[in-house]
Amino acid sequence: MRERDLTSDEPVIRLDRVGLSYGPEADVLADVSLQLRPGSMTFLTGPSGAGKSTLLKLAYLALRPTAGRVSMFGVDTSRLSRKDLAPLRRRIGVIFQEFRLLEHLSAYENVALPLRVLGQHEKTYRDDVIELLKWVGLGDRLSARPATLSGGEKQRVAIARAVVVKPDLIIADEPTGNVDEEMGDRLYRLFRELNKRLNTTLLIATHDLALVRKANTDVLRLADGMVVRVPASRAPQAEAST
Amino acid sequence: MKPSLAPLLPKEDAREAALFFVVCALCFLAALSGLVARSAYSAADEWTNRVTGQITIRVRGDDAATARAVALVKAAPDIISVRALERAESEELLRPWLGPTGVPADLPLPHLIAAESAPTSAEAGERLSAILKAANIDATVDDHIVWSKDVKRATDSAGLVALIAVGLLGATGLAVIAFATHATLLARRDIVELLHLTGAKDSFISSLFEQRFLMLGVQAGALGALLAFGAAAFILFVVKQADQQIWLLPQLSLSLADGLILGVSPLVAGIASMLAAKVTVMRSLSDMV
Repeated sequence: MRERDLTSDEPVIRLDRVGLSYGPEADVLADVSLQLRPGSMTFLTGPSGAGKSTLLKLAYLALRPTAGRVSMFGVDTSRLSRKDLAPLRRRIGVIFQEFRLLEHLSAYENVALPLRVLGQHEKTYRDDVIELLKWVGLGDRLSARPATLSGGEKQRVAIARAVVVKPDLIIADEPTGNVDEEMGDRLYRLFRELNKRLNTTLLIATHDLALVRKANTDVLRLADGMVVRVPASRAPQAEAST
Repeated sequence: MKPSLAPLLPKEDAREAALFFVVCALCFLAALSGLVARSAYSAADEWTNRVTGQITIRVRGDDAATARAVALVKAAPDIISVRALERAESEELLRPWLGPTGVPADLPLPHLIAAESAPTSAEAGERLSAILKAANIDATVDDHIVWSKDVKRATDSAGLVALIAVGLLGATGLAVIAFATHATLLARRDIVELLHLTGAKDSFISSLFEQRFLMLGVQAGALGALLAFGAAAFILFVVKQADQQIWLLPQLSLSLADGLILGVSPLVAGIASMLAAKVTVMRSLSDMV
């Protein structure tokens, strides 16, 4: 894979006093402000039900906030129409907690899906997709349907799909939630490699303390509808106390 | 290995097979109604052409009065031809009512005169009636206008009813396809959402459903039109076997115009299916962020 130049220091994600509620119920997010710099790798932690997945949905533009402002790649998304959000989404690779692989497509076809959305012809990306699947250790599973893949294999197909268009931002929701420790290590190394080699910004929501410890990076902790940045040195202790 | 790409929407399932049957049946009925409408209008035209300008005059009197009437009619304006019918011709006209034994020799028959006026002369019947009355000839002039208007009105009504049936069947088809598209959309929401979050434009997602339903509409429409052709051919066959023709009813002919109706039906079904799918998908997508 080719290296990408970083051309701007503009935050990849910037949330200003963002709130989100569903109807008259209590706010899921109350007053969230954060920003992620290009090339950063950030973990989002917090107790179950704290709103991590909701925050990620705001980041990958599946939701609009009911208060505050979400800017992606320097663009205030509240000013954009539905139509104008599509190009921004193409700069984001999402690894869903439940994988969201299409059951009628093979591993190869699932990974190639974002490229088909971009209108690219298969002959232009075939070799890249195969190389990518080999990179995630699935070179011999190109034709396998999701139903025949293990949890770890599905996870790696989902990762390959998220990175195939070399996005500026990768958002992962509990990427190690369905895999054993060994596979968790492999996935972490994949993320680290993406972050270093392609300078891809990563936002990873996780409960996995071991993963956070290995990364040795700042952690965003979400609780009571608000986000607090915890320095890398104190992150594992802060998480262990929850 | 050379991987090939499967369609982004899974191939059809039982739900689409049921939809195929419904669209096929609707297209069959619509095509058949179209054929009936066309034949009703052409029957109306044929009847109008057949009787326009034809005038029958019944003279109550002797041969001399008939001869005088012929002379007067011939001299009248806009009359193209005129002749007195022979007794044999009058008997032939009565044969359907009196049977093969014919008319008894002693039965007096009215003297009939057949005339033809210019098609543009709508008042010819009334004018002839006035001329004969002025000449003291007791005669009744029938220019067929009254009953031909009734027949035309009846056949036009049949055609209109058939056209309304085509419209209703078409609207039903659109509603069914919109409903089916919505159901498919709900069933494939995982795919739609994933494509949406991957950055697919609405038009890209919609095109997947449009292509699917265009093909379904064309194929189901073609089968429906083929069945309608078979039904029309069967009706033609039965009528020919019976060796009789009911002139007051629209006649199926399988002419070039009928072929056009049958040929266009699958295209209309396909395009209508595609548009119904497009509207439904775009409306559903507009609910997403």
